[in-house]
This record gives sequence, C-alpha cells and structure tokens, in this order.
Amino acid sequence: MVKNILVVDDDQGIQKMFKTLLESYDYRVVQAASGKEALEKYGESKPDIVIMDILMPGMDGVKTTKKLLKQDKNAKIVVVTAVGKPGLEKGCIKAGAKAFIVKPFKIDHLLETIQNVSNGVV
Amino acid sequence: MVRGIEEVREYHEDIIESIPSTILIVNRTLEIVYANPHYYRASGKRPKDVLGKNIRKVLSQETIKRMGLDKKIRMAIGTGRPFEGGHAPGDRFGTLYFYKVRPLTDEYGDVSRAMILVEDVTELTRLEEELKESYVKLDNAYTELREADNIKSDFISAASHELRTPLTVISSYIELMEKGKIGSPEKQKEITETLADQTKHMIGLVEDMLDISRMESKRFIVEKKNISTLETVNDAAESVKTLSDLKGHIISLKIPEDLPKIVGDKKRIKDLLTNLLTNAIKCTPNGGKITVSAKDEGEYVHFIVADTGIGISKREQSKIFEKFYVGGGLSARREPGRMGLGLSIAKGIVEAHNGKIWVESSLGKGSRFHFTLPKAESSGSSM
Repeated sequence: MVKNILVVDDDQGIQKMFKTLLESYDYRVVQAASGKEALEKYGESKPDIVIMDILMPGMDGVKTTKKLLKQDKNAKIVVVTAVGKPGLEKGCIKAGAKAFIVKPFKIDHLLETIQNVSNGVV
Repeated sequence: MVRGIEEVREYHEDIIESIPSTILIVNRTLEIVYANPHYYRASGKRPKDVLGKNIRKVLSQETIKRMGLDKKIRMAIGTGRPFEGGHAPGDRFGTLYFYKVRPLTDEYGDVSRAMILVEDVTELTRLEEELKESYVKLDNAYTELREADNIKSDFISAASHELRTPLTVISSYIELMEKGKIGSPEKQKEITETLADQTKHMIGLVEDMLDISRMESKRFIVEKKNISTLETVNDAAESVKTLSDLKGHIISLKIPEDLPKIVGDKKRIKDLLTNLLTNAIKCTPNGGKITVSAKDEGEYVHFIVADTGIGISKREQSKIFEKFYVGGGLSARREPGRMGLGLSIAKGIVEAHNGKIWVESSLGKGSRFHFTLPKAESSGSSM
C-alpha cells in the first residue's frame, strides 16, 4: 500500500526536493509550508508519516509536533532540520517526535528511518 | 644582640611616634589617660587640654553622638568585648575615619580601660571607590563582549542553517541522480537548473559573509571610478524586474538627465541599489509603487529609494542597519537567505564611499531609504 507523507517545511527548494525524492520511492507527498498549514493538512490527508522542519516562521516545529500529537496521539513525526543546536534532538523527542535527522542527510538514512518509524520499530 | 633598656625604650617611642593613627586610652569614667603623638599633631591640642579630661569635653558632642562612642567604651569595658569597627564622621577637610574600641586588661586581669583607635581611611576609601568604578567598567565591558559573542554565535548558527538548507537540496538531488532515480531528460534538466540556482544562492550567502567580515576588519575596498548614475540605477532596476513584476509593482526612476557622474564602485553601488529595491519590493503589498530618485546636492548625489509598503517602526529603525538583525515586519514567510546582513552591507558600501545612509519611515506609510555618494569632480552629465 502506498504510504502518505506530510512534509512540513517553509523552504520551497526543500519542499520540491522532498517531493521528487519521496515520489521516486513511491510515497505520496502532501506539503505544508507552516505549522498552521500542517495542522490543517494533517486532518485532511491523515498521513502515515510527518516530516517536520524546526525553524519556521510562526509556530515552530517543536510546537507543531506537540499540537499534532494532541490532535492524534498516534501521529508519527520525524524531525528533519538544519538546526544542529545541542539539546534540540532531546527536546524534539521529548515533544513526541519518533526520530531526529539533521540536514543534509543521506537518502538511505532518511528512507530507513521512515521505514522504521512507520513499522513501529522506533 | 643585647640592647640597653634605654635603647629599647627609645626604639618603642620611635615606633609610637610614627604611628599615623590616633590612639586614645580612656578609663571607666571616660577620662582620657593617654593620647598618642599623632593625636596631638592632628588635633593641635596640648596634653594639658586632653589628659585627665572627660572625652566628652575633648571631642565634640556631635562626634561622640554620631559615633555612639561613650556607649561603645562602656560596652568594651563592661563586657570585655571589642567594638570591631565603624566609620567615624569625616571632618571639614573631607578626611574619612574608621575607628575601633578595644578593652585593655590591667595587671590584675580586670578590664578598666579602653583604647580608641581612629584611622584615616580617606585614601583607602578613594581606592575602594576607584576599584568599584573599575569593577563597574569591567562588568560593562564583559557584558558588551558577551553580547558581541552571543551575536557571533547567533551568526554562526544562522549561517550554518542558511548554508545547510541549499546544501541539503544539492546533495539530495546529486544522490538521487547517482542512484539513477531521475529518469526523464526533462526532469534532469529541471534538477540541473535547481542545482545551479541553489549553488548561486550559496555563493551569494558566502559572499555576504565575506563582505561583512571584510567590513569588520576594515579590509573592504571599493573601486573609485567615475560612473553614470542613471546607468547604474537602470542596471539595478533591471535586475529586480522579475521579482517586481511578480508582485505587480511599478518601479519609476526619477533621475535628472543632467545629473553629474558619481565616484565609486559600479558593482557595489548596483548591489546597494538592488538590495534596497529588493527590500522595497518584498515589504510592499502587491501592486505597490517604488520610486528611485536622485538629485545633485553639493559635493554629493543624494539618492532616495521610496516605497508604499508596510513601513518600519521607530524601534526597528535603529536596528535595521545592525548585523544579523532580521526584522519582524517582512512577509510572514521566512525568506531563504535572510541572515540580516543586507542592510549592514548596504551601510558598509555607502560608508566605504564616504557617504551616509539613513531611513525615514512610519508604520503603514512606506519607507524612504536615503543615501549619498560623492560626485565626480567637474564631471559632465550622467549620460
């Protein structure tokens, strides 16, 4: 079964890249450019996995993660961020994210993480 | 070494003579039984006015009252515990005193007298004040350095974030290509264009960072050639045309044809104008009006880039030319590459030409960025 992935990122270049990447591995991609849009799109598309950026205008990724989990406590969120601040990974996991990946990443690492999270291994 | 009693006595007297503090000894009834040489020198009093007299008659009532001296003497004699010290009132010459009251034990082991020691602490107090001032200065310097350090850390983290974003796009596409995941030639062409754009964007970021670093270390050098004002403004306006059209703005140029040439670095001045124009385009709601005007003003040409945009609050106006300041007023969407360097580079460019840059604006009423650049000597028209 084709899996849906909601990509939350405010950078258009990143959005386009994720779409090309994930679609070439047979995922279906839904896009959201802000935390607010993510909450709306999540309800509409019921994605299997959420890829979440952290540094976004308005609601940041940590806050959005918490709100999404309030909306659906089974939401599977993978943070993919360019912020390498120490302590951020812990904060994201504490907020309820299943995994934390730093940009730039290796495609295999991203795909493996998505697999593991969607199979409930992580 | 063996000394005679006389010799030892003289030696002790010399020591007592040279003590630079007042020592008074009083008995239980507050009569002064001893005053050291320093006291006589400092007060100008003679022994007959002091010895055997009640301390209340020798020192001023005011002094005794303010020091609570009589109580402290009785306490020292009564309990055998010393008063370890306090500030005594200063005199009319600005001298500051510190005093102690210590009980003295007689040959039977009883406390029947007390010693009052009064030291001049004027110099010590002055040094203490100086030390306090230095400490405040040091503390301020530390705070400033810490702020500068925080700004640098924020910069490094912002720079790293801004560079990682295009890098992620580039590295992911390259990896996809390596894995043979980009099949069609159309898709390949599209991706190659994206790679070129992202690379260009990264180069721009790195150049901005280098410019700022050169400006900070005063190694930012500009060419000084006679250049046409109109041509430079035209070039800049042309380079932002796509962006401006996208938002439906009208850019009008009001440059008099007979405007003299300016002296400067053509590329840098174009960068400066492009930067101000890009900001104006982004900060103005769709369908706005942006005007670039220039006029001859003494030794300078005075430029104004005006827009009908959202404006800048008074509070933000003082910060926008600072490094790494990212205003909250721009569009809600974070612009890629917004490291808060644009206007500080603009300022650096103007200042490298010995010009000035400033802004006039109020919220909701648009912004007018002014700057001046030196006019070429006895130059012909801009044409």
